[in-house]
Parts: sequence; structure tokens; C-alpha cells
Amino acid sequence: MAEDLVLDTAIRDWVLVPLSVVMVLIGVLRYFVSKLMRSHQAPDLKVVKEGQVILRARNLRAAAGFIPAKSFRARKIYYTNEENGLLHVPKGQAQNAQAQMFSDPNLAMDMMKKNLSMIIPQTLTFAWVNFFFSGFVAAKIPFPLTHRFRGMLQNGIDLSTVDVSYVSSRSWYFLNLFGLRGLFSLILGEENAMDDTQRMMQMSGFGFDPTKSLGAEKDSIDIIQHEWALPKLEKRAEDVLKKLVK
Amino acid sequence: MAVEGDPRASAKKSLGDALDDLPIFNADNLQNNIKSIYYSRTFLSIIGGVIAGIWGFTGLTGFIFYFIVMAAASFSLAAKAKFSVHAYFDSWSRILLDGIFGGLMSFVLFWTFAYDIVHIF
Repeated sequence: MAEDLVLDTAIRDWVLVPLSVVMVLIGVLRYFVSKLMRSHQAPDLKVVKEGQVILRARNLRAAAGFIPAKSFRARKIYYTNEENGLLHVPKGQAQNAQAQMFSDPNLAMDMMKKNLSMIIPQTLTFAWVNFFFSGFVAAKIPFPLTHRFRGMLQNGIDLSTVDVSYVSSRSWYFLNLFGLRGLFSLILGEENAMDDTQRMMQMSGFGFDPTKSLGAEKDSIDIIQHEWALPKLEKRAEDVLKKLVK
Repeated sequence: MAVEGDPRASAKKSLGDALDDLPIFNADNLQNNIKSIYYSRTFLSIIGGVIAGIWGFTGLTGFIFYFIVMAAASFSLAAKAKFSVHAYFDSWSRILLDGIFGGLMSFVLFWTFAYDIVHIF
């Protein structure tokens, strides 16, 4: 059992620090490259319209308590009536989302570009680390771990006697990959942090169907129980004024 | 330090906590406040990691240090909000818990980095 390995200071100067700096710089570079490659396509008029209608309906739903019952009823009918309500989707008009997806190659192209701008730098850095720095200990984490972590932290070192808290350079790369996310969100702003989640949403919303969300919004407006907030507010105002007068 | 630019939108919701049954808040401002909490926590976890590394904490001490830093951050955020949390956030857990475990990874990375540079080599 090697208790205290002595690490060469050259490792610090030529592996540990450069690796981290390169990871940060590559992250910044990736951010700007993906910003440059992002294509701006004119949004479809119909989709924008539907999105705005849904937003308005949602606002109505959230603020239903602040308008009198009569006004609420009028708005509700405006949105949900069966003849020409904004949220009413005539049957048979529902467009097949999958077909729409394929008819618009830009969308798929955009997604592929984003994925590529993520994968290519990662592969390149990993290959670079592998090629130059494989096979030796580069760092030591300051807390003990169980042997289960050996595969994770000493990736690339096939010695079972080295203490688990010593980290190989390949694993230092992985540590950087996950740990620098916070730093990126600080230096690049929120956009970078949001990128991942946005991509997730795009993936899951592959067959996103606007007519469906219109229908859902319609249903939730239909079932809302209107309760006017003004009486309560009046009582509150009365309390406040009384306190002031006293 | 943690609270720099915290509740930027101080004119957030008008009638605070008295009307519990009626949610009155501005979603944009709430989002903004949550974001500034996230930033201050991330910043603190990185700075805390470097400090822990330079001071040479090992093992459990480092993690305890991290949670102490986070608790201090929670406290100062609450103090910045003048302890009327419901004027700025929708629940206490936003101030007390949000982002604590998200920052742990950054903390460990910078802790290791500073510790290695200062103590190991």
C-alpha cells in the first residue's frame, strides 16, 4: 500500500493546470461557436399565433380572481365557445406533428448542429487527454473513498495497490467535465446552462402538437372555478386603514 | 458577498403573505430572484472550494466546511431579503435548500484543484 506517493511538480505544471485551463477555454469556444452556428429561421405565423393565444389563456387562468365574475365569463366564452372560440380546434384540422417535423428540415438540421457542437469538442479533448496523459496519477482528491470508486477515479491505471484517492488524468478530465458546469454558468451567463435543458425539452417534445395544447388549455379554462378576490382585498384594505387611523 | 444583487426586483409582489390563499407574484421577478440565488451559490461553492483547498482541509472537514458556507449563504440571503422571504420567493426552501447539491460538484473540483496545487506537489 503506497501511503504517500510523491508526485512530480512537472505533472502539475504540464498536466493538471493545462488540462483544466484547456477545458475551460474549450467550453468558452464551444459557446461562441454554437452561437455563431445557430440559424435564425422565420417562425411560422400559425405556430406563433397559437402560442400567443395559449399565453393569453394562461394569463386569464392565473389572474381569474382579479376580475369580476361577469368579465370572466365573457372572456371564457371568447376563448372556449364551440363555434369560433380562440381555443376551439375544429375537428380534422389537427395537423400531424410528425409530418410537420419532416417537412421542416431546418429543425432537424439545427438539432444536429447543436449535438455536433457538443460531441466533437468532447471527443477531441478526450482523445487528446488519452493520447498525451494516459497511464499516470495526476491528482489526489482530499477525501477518502471506498474501493468501489476505483474504476471511476483511476480510469487508465491498472494497479490495485494505489490508494483510491489518487486520480488518473483521464478521470481528472471527467471531474472537470462535470465540475466546470457551474463555472461556465457564471462566466457565460445562463444561456449556456440552459442549453442542456433546452435540448432535453426539444428531444422530449419531438412530436409536439400545438393543437393538443390548445385543447388542454381549453379544458382547464372550462373547469376553473371563478372566485373574485375583491371582497377579501376590501377587508384587507379596511384592516390596514384601521391600523393607520389608530 | 453572497448577496450581491440579490433581490434586484424589490417591487415584486405587492400584498405579500397576508393573502396566502391567493398567489400574487410576478413570475419573471421570481425567476430573476431564483437565478441570482443560483449564481451566488455557484460562486460561493467555487470560492469555498478554493479556500478549503488552500487551507488544506481533508476528508469530512471539507464537506462540513462546504455546508457551513452554504448555511452562511442561506442566512445572508435571508437577511438580504429582510427575513420576509415571502415577499421575494414562494417558499422558504428556495432560500434554504435550492442549489446546495448542485454546487457540490464544483466545490469538489476546485477543492481538489487547489489542494493538489498547494499541498500535494
